[in-house]
Amino acid sequence: MAAGINRYKADLRELFFVLFEQFPFSEVAGKGPFDGWDDETAKAIIKESYRFATEVLGPLNAVGDREGCKVVDGGVKTPTGFKDAWKQLYEAGLKQIAVPREFGGQGAPTSLYVLIEEITCGSNTAFNMYPGLAWGAAEVIAECATEAQKKKFAEKMFNGVWAGTMCLTEPHAGSDVGSAATRAFKQPDGTYKIKGTKIYISGGDQDLTENIVHLVLARVEGAPAGTKGLSLFIVPKHRVNADGSVGPRNDVALASIEHKMGINGSATCVLNFGENDDCFGELVGTVEHQGMPQMFRMMNGARIAVGIQGLAVASSAYLNALDYAKDRKQGASFKNWKDPNAPRVAIIEHPDVRRMLLELKATVEGLRALVMKLANHRDHYHLLAGKDDDKAAYHLGQVDLLTPLVKAYGSDEAYRLCGTAIQVYGGAGFLKDWPVEQYARDAKIFSIYEGTNHIQAMDLVGRKLGQNGGANFQAFMGDVAAFIEKHKGHPVFGKEIELLGSASEAVVTLAMGFMGWSQTEKVGLVPLTANRFLLAMSQLAVAFVLLDAGVLADKKRGALSATDPDRAFYEGKVHSAHWYARNVLPQVENHVKIAMIEDETPTTISDAAFASA
Amino acid sequence: MPLKILVTAKRVEDSESKIKVNPAGTGIVLEGLKFKINPFDEIAIEEALRLTAKHGGEVVVVSIGGKEVVEQLRSPALAMGANRAIWVNHVGPMDQLGIAACLQKICEKEKPDLCILGKQAIDDDQGQVGSYLAEALGWSQATFASKEESLESEAEKSKAPAIKLSADGKSVTVVREVDGGLQTIEATLPAVATTELRLNQPRYASLPGIMKAKTKPLEEVTPASLGVDMTPHITVVKMTHPPARKAGIKVADVPALMDKLKNEARAI
Ligand SMILES: Cc1cc2nc3c(=O)[nH]c(=O)nc-3n(C[C@H](O)[C@H](O)[C@H](O)COP(=O)(O)OP(=O)(O)OC[C@H]3O[C@@H](n4cnc5c(N)ncnc54)[C@H](O)[C@@H]3O)c2cc1C
Repeated sequence: MAAGINRYKADLRELFFVLFEQFPFSEVAGKGPFDGWDDETAKAIIKESYRFATEVLGPLNAVGDREGCKVVDGGVKTPTGFKDAWKQLYEAGLKQIAVPREFGGQGAPTSLYVLIEEITCGSNTAFNMYPGLAWGAAEVIAECATEAQKKKFAEKMFNGVWAGTMCLTEPHAGSDVGSAATRAFKQPDGTYKIKGTKIYISGGDQDLTENIVHLVLARVEGAPAGTKGLSLFIVPKHRVNADGSVGPRNDVALASIEHKMGINGSATCVLNFGENDDCFGELVGTVEHQGMPQMFRMMNGARIAVGIQGLAVASSAYLNALDYAKDRKQGASFKNWKDPNAPRVAIIEHPDVRRMLLELKATVEGLRALVMKLANHRDHYHLLAGKDDDKAAYHLGQVDLLTPLVKAYGSDEAYRLCGTAIQVYGGAGFLKDWPVEQYARDAKIFSIYEGTNHIQAMDLVGRKLGQNGGANFQAFMGDVAAFIEKHKGHPVFGKEIELLGSASEAVVTLAMGFMGWSQTEKVGLVPLTANRFLLAMSQLAVAFVLLDAGVLADKKRGALSATDPDRAFYEGKVHSAHWYARNVLPQVENHVKIAMIEDETPTTISDAAFASA
Repeated sequence: MPLKILVTAKRVEDSESKIKVNPAGTGIVLEGLKFKINPFDEIAIEEALRLTAKHGGEVVVVSIGGKEVVEQLRSPALAMGANRAIWVNHVGPMDQLGIAACLQKICEKEKPDLCILGKQAIDDDQGQVGSYLAEALGWSQATFASKEESLESEAEKSKAPAIKLSADGKSVTVVREVDGGLQTIEATLPAVATTELRLNQPRYASLPGIMKAKTKPLEEVTPASLGVDMTPHITVVKMTHPPARKAGIKVADVPALMDKLKNEARAI
């Protein structure tokens, strides 16, 4: 195998901290649907996943980037080694970790799944797109399809025998999914003929699996316009015989693949359905016009997964930059800046490099803790589902509320942090000799697909803030307030808790502002300010989880000797919390101040005034 | 013929950890170190699993040490597919004779057809246990087991065992790595084999495997219960880092370099 060198790095001690200390796995593991799970198993699985990632997936990351995908004989050829890695991934069972047991998976809690996802994604983002989409598509079928369809498709897709895609985007339907023009014609036998073109389809074709199951959004003849008229179809690349084996080709043609800035190992395809009027599809379930709610099942999970992609890449960028900074000698210590003969020091000794590294560390840890908070709510929801309505609704509400934050803040920060990691390297970071430039290129797509980050921001202010009569948002703010109340005057975090208080007041002020605007002629301020609100609320949420971790770490470090390596670890957590609270939290109030200026220049400026060219 | 195979799983320092000698020079600093299974043992387990996959039988894995070795017994050893584990609970110093004596007693009780051990452990690189064990049991030994094909070969891809069982099930053929080449020997069973790095590419412990490992039988014994005295015959007098390299010097020109090479370094 023409495998390259692994560059992926993770700090397992930190992963163990979030999973076993900050969001105790033992609270959910071993109970209800998570029966059979415990700390020891989770730890073994994380270690084994990390080993798999660094030995199998990591060495292919740069290979996939340099080689990219090619079209050979009308089909996609994936980079060297991907096919073998696919096989090994499913043999090792890593992708089946959270798959329901009835489909041959292990039914793991989400809080463990997200960490495994971080590891596989961080070692090779482009590769992980294929199994990620196969899993997502299988989930939709598992949740929404008929029993026969589940049998026929879901199990094979969950277990890597077949793959899957989600086909929403069309040339004239990107963010505006409702404009989809792909059509479906019902046949006398109850199946449908599909006709249309989908673009940007990740994994739309590949040579990893013998079949690909496309989930296609299309409009049945005579259905209403807009999203309400869309239905979701199962459209396999190869028809499936009655005995479940792979049959003849379906009329799905690969038209071309895109040449991209990043994730080059992931094939982004233009697919033509029904060029020869012979593209067969099955409706997912039995009811037409359910396409959007069905697709949203997948989309929520996929949005969380995109946030994890951001976290994963940023985390490895940080740890690589840290290694480099310890190694690269340049300049003298600033304490000796006047002495030309002072010894050269590693760049980690320079205050500004340390500032960048701590920013990377704190933000990466904050993103991880935010993902874990979401996952923890999801696990508790599943434990309670059907039992305690109020508590279950609370946990589900937090999952809904945090999803756009994880997706948008996670992805925006990832790209920015990869830039910072490059900056730590200096010129070397800009070169292909080091992994961070690829990380930056790979990370850019995260803010675009699965709904651009503005779509996330509008989801937050337009839907999530008012969801359940505002109860989800109020519950979140209530949790922040309770934390502040509990730790007011904390000996180590007193000042930071105060900063959290002012930031949370500011967030509430802006939320109220939205309500005011939406009911007046100032409604135009809502989309203009939505991204800023998402940023402010994300920063508040991340500070909250980091301070929570900091308080815990402060308690734990006290009991340890000065040389215990855990002591340095906990001290690092205290520093992350201090840094983020002092350097980022105050920005929240500023965001709100800026929003309250109610600036409308972007909408008042005429098109002609943008440039005279 | 089903085979009963005994394999070992030593817990060793992860080669990626930075190893430091303690200030007293009596051993290494254990705090903050990461541990893993000895890679040679992992290869032994893989070979045993391939053999039992082909011929049927059972793989029993043994580790000697404090309670922390249970981690390596469960994962990867049992998680890879070994059927059950024996943990010899022993805290404190031990040497190769003690280790071989424990294994001997276990073999006398378990009566395996074949023992497969790593040819050495990557922590102290002693490479003695396999041969001691064969000698103590009076069994044939096949050390440095390797294979003719490369690790990229079809044979390896098909996960075929490299140690070959004879048709009558009475012996195994082993390709040994020796200086400058390979030697093929036949060893009568019961036998002890030790593994080279090129014997196979071990599988990853699968996730379902890790889940199943929790419920697989793990028997705890002690050297005393086996009737073994672990008092070492070897004492470590002192442990030091290899001497640091001295700083280089600059020479003025090629003749000066030649002079130094000839007269100081006596290299030419
Ligand atoms: C590498 C890659 C992989 C992809 N994989 C898939 C896939 O597997 N399946 C799939 O279906 N799609 C996929 N996509 C498509 C992706 O989801 C879309 O690119 C994305 O939804 C944005 O749509 P668009 O590109 O048409 O941009 P547009 O919708 O044209 O957006 C352009 C800009 O306008 C803004 N904008 C658009 N509408 C509004 C509005 N109403 N209000 C305010 N601002 C707006 C956007 O935020 C953005 O800044 C992929 C794309 C890429 C690049």
